[in-house]
Amino acid sequence: MKRRALWAAVLVAAMTLSGCGSAGSGSSSDSADDKLVVWDWKTGEESAASYIKQAKADFAEKHPDVKVEFVAQPFDQYYTLLGTAIQSGKGPDVMLFNGGGEIRDRTDALLPLDDYVAKDRKRLAGWEAFTAQGRVYAAPVTLQGHPVYYNKSLYKDAGLDPEEPATTWREFLDDCKAIAEKTKASCLSLGNKEGIGIQFFLSGLGPGVLTPQEYDDWIAGKRDWNSPHVRQIFELWKEAEDVGLNNDGANSTALFNDAFARFQSGEAAHIVGLMSDVGHWKDFSEFLDPDDIGVMRAPLVNSEADPALPYDGGIGYGVAEWTKKPKLAADLVRSLTSKDALKAFYADAGAVASDTTLDVSGGGQALTTIVSEIKTGKPALHVALSSKTLDLMGRLSQQILSGSTSVDDALRKLADSDQKG
Amino acid sequence: MRRVRLRVWVVAVPMAALAVATIYPLVFTANVAMKTRHDYILDRFSLTSSLFWDNIATAWTSVGLGRYFANSVIVVASAVALLLLIGSMAGFALSHLRFRGSRALFLCFLAALFIPFQVIMVPLARVMADSGLMDTYPGLILAYVAQFLPFTIFLMTSYYSGIPGEIMDAARIDGNTTYGVYRRIMLPIGRPALLSVGILNALFCWNDVLISLLMMPSPEHRTLMVGVTSLRGQYSDDIPTFASGVLIAALPVLVLYLFFQRQIADGITAGATKG
Amino acid sequence: MPLRGSPSSVRPADSGRTDKTQAGQRTRRTDPGVPAPRGISGQRAERLAPYILLAPAIAIVVAFRLVPLLMGVNFSFTGDGERDGTAVGLDNYAELFRDPLFRTALENVGLLVLLLPVAVAIPGLLATFIYLRVPGHRIHRSVYFFPAVLSPVLVGAIFNLLLAFDGPLNAALGNTGIDPVDWLGDPDIAMFTVVGVHVWATFGMALVVFLAGFSTLDATLLDAARVDGASLPQVIWHVIVPGLSRTLQFVFVTTMIGMLTSMFGLLYVMTSGGPEGATYLPEYYIWVQQGEMNRPALASAASTVLFLLMLVVGLAQIALLRRAGREH
Repeated sequence: MKRRALWAAVLVAAMTLSGCGSAGSGSSSDSADDKLVVWDWKTGEESAASYIKQAKADFAEKHPDVKVEFVAQPFDQYYTLLGTAIQSGKGPDVMLFNGGGEIRDRTDALLPLDDYVAKDRKRLAGWEAFTAQGRVYAAPVTLQGHPVYYNKSLYKDAGLDPEEPATTWREFLDDCKAIAEKTKASCLSLGNKEGIGIQFFLSGLGPGVLTPQEYDDWIAGKRDWNSPHVRQIFELWKEAEDVGLNNDGANSTALFNDAFARFQSGEAAHIVGLMSDVGHWKDFSEFLDPDDIGVMRAPLVNSEADPALPYDGGIGYGVAEWTKKPKLAADLVRSLTSKDALKAFYADAGAVASDTTLDVSGGGQALTTIVSEIKTGKPALHVALSSKTLDLMGRLSQQILSGSTSVDDALRKLADSDQKG
Repeated sequence: MRRVRLRVWVVAVPMAALAVATIYPLVFTANVAMKTRHDYILDRFSLTSSLFWDNIATAWTSVGLGRYFANSVIVVASAVALLLLIGSMAGFALSHLRFRGSRALFLCFLAALFIPFQVIMVPLARVMADSGLMDTYPGLILAYVAQFLPFTIFLMTSYYSGIPGEIMDAARIDGNTTYGVYRRIMLPIGRPALLSVGILNALFCWNDVLISLLMMPSPEHRTLMVGVTSLRGQYSDDIPTFASGVLIAALPVLVLYLFFQRQIADGITAGATKG
Repeated sequence: MPLRGSPSSVRPADSGRTDKTQAGQRTRRTDPGVPAPRGISGQRAERLAPYILLAPAIAIVVAFRLVPLLMGVNFSFTGDGERDGTAVGLDNYAELFRDPLFRTALENVGLLVLLLPVAVAIPGLLATFIYLRVPGHRIHRSVYFFPAVLSPVLVGAIFNLLLAFDGPLNAALGNTGIDPVDWLGDPDIAMFTVVGVHVWATFGMALVVFLAGFSTLDATLLDAARVDGASLPQVIWHVIVPGLSRTLQFVFVTTMIGMLTSMFGLLYVMTSGGPEGATYLPEYYIWVQQGEMNRPALASAASTVLFLLMLVVGLAQIALLRRAGREH
């Protein structure tokens, strides 16, 4: 009787309390003075192991008694987790960012690094993508850009000279015609499921349309969406689909990694690719003969245009504004961008590292071409746009392809969004 | 007993086809897990020519799935046990006991069911951090219990409502208190529901990525699905390794289900005789 | 067989508890006719029993769901970015309803609600056939659950391959002379494709619940119906549906919640909300605003709208099903 009631009470109490006993360590933000926590989405990958090892060794030399903990987060959840950490002011000391919109939207949570990284400014390239309001918030690890790759063996099959790719849009169309007639491949490999195909198209082929002045204005934020040349880029986007340069079902083909796979397996002759991570020289050479991978300049649509390699800082490490050890954290960032670490990253992970002093002669012809153009390169057109405008552009580009909206209408909406952002 | 005559084959053939279709993804996954990344990119559908166990080994070792596996077992087992206990008590009270506010309470639990996790994500992290539960096993267990408790209560209440009140009355006449009725009658009778909701909860908790990521920031506390998910990088196309991880993660739930599914369908009679 | 009670006992009750008339007559705890639990403290324990049994559930739901919910709703009235932390009134809500993407997401919710009966009928019918012991029912009972244990990310990846424009499904259609369909690239079709895959991937869970529900069904009723010469549709409509009304209610509500809050993984992998934004759902919108767009307060407002929407639709469903149950 009494025992039963007691039993019930104990049971209930046990259950409500069972969760409440504490165990384990505190959250990473409360880490002790001798520990730094780093968040990224790279260190889980096997190919980044030697990079992290080098960086750790470099840091341990300067600060032997500081422990560094790398936490590899899944990329799909990365920015959401970071958002939660930022809102509660608790999180890692050092974190990885994509260059461009992702970091510029979050500078409130970051420490300006200008004073700490001054010595690295010359050695590394790609700072602009991590700069906002004139201050640097992260140090670049890789460079990310959008070279136009082509398949030389398909060129040979189509009776074209693989060493003389088209320099003008008109020639390019002729070459595409030859490829369509002689091979089964499509001229371009386009994946626009995520709405990213248009970004690559804009950055990869836009340099052949805009004059250098227009290009620089665009990057500087003076974007005239109604100018004839900007309109021309979007008209080319439509034309490419209408005259059949693209593969079928571009709106349901993922750029990552279906479109790349098409190029890799010889089903497409050209692709606007990447320089680091994936969809690049090293990735392609796993399936195609490295000598068959060519890199060409954007074909000239307007004679006044002067195409340069479009690239920016790819990924970079920044320091949290709330860290208690800014100096240590900044030193870690410097170790993560030290020459030896970046060299390991380039060699194993297939990335064009931000360090311009690295020797890349062993990386094949395509890489050599890319690296030789870094000096004259310019920031990519799409990276200058806000996340919101990019998102909208993705959707509108799909509508242009399917014919449910006009170029005019799309440009009006984009201009609207860009001005607001 | 239950044979209602039906044009058996009209139903049986499509159902068999569906059965094949439901096995296919598992077969596909196993097939992909045995391929090298290179083979996979060149041809995704063809039968693997090699048995490439390296992927499984890579998945297991490269992110330390062994440790995560243990974490998952601890957290999921505790969470499911608590869910079943608390959920069945509440379901019993809401379905068979008369008390002031019972209907309002039921509606409150129902309303809690409709709270999308996204709306409470950030505040919940704050509550956990303030109460010192962040990055602890009890914290994650409680987060799971809170997340799936409304669902569990709803199911248990529905199920117990289908049990006639006479059974409880008879037990009372035998001199049982309410607690006795719960323990001796309702728990055993509830077996099919407890088993099915237990399996579903185990599946939800086991496959969860987001709650676990938020509540357990440090790497040594990670759960299995988080580990598997991080096998996929930003652009990673190493689907074979990922598929191996998914396979490793899916097996325990599969085994659990196969073990209990007969009892879900047949359980009521067993429960009744034991009770 | 104490559980095969009278036919009336499996009839749906009209409240959250047992059938009122029965409960009223038979479970009067204060009735002196029923042997009273012993002792005064025992009596108090008996009186408090419902509350004691419910205490842990209430404590957990209040602390870890309701309190955060209120904090989250409160947060939706503050600003993002430069206006972080300041009260902005209903600005976020105004912005939401101006955003065509959010409106598309809400329209898609309407579509999902319309598709809901199909998503419930499929596992319901399958469970019925398994219960009626269709040939192979043991195997079916086992394998139908298989897709549910795979991660949505992987399921999405597999279907991406199968449904690609140049994929095997279109190739098969081509052999029968049907033009290829852009399953994931046509904005008029993509939403149905994703819902189809979601149903395929999750019907095993509803099946488990239905099977548990069937175990409370009175088999003698089925036999009686069979003796009367009822057809299968008649048996389903007049015996199984009323007998399982609570299970049905449950499956309806949880399937809706599943469709509205856990299709994220599939959407992310299969369409990224596209093509042309056609497959946006509120939860995907919330995710994008929270993460990619760095607009947590706006995301909170969207979550609050989603919560209210689900509450209204869910309660309306329960009311509807209950009325339908009474008509039987």
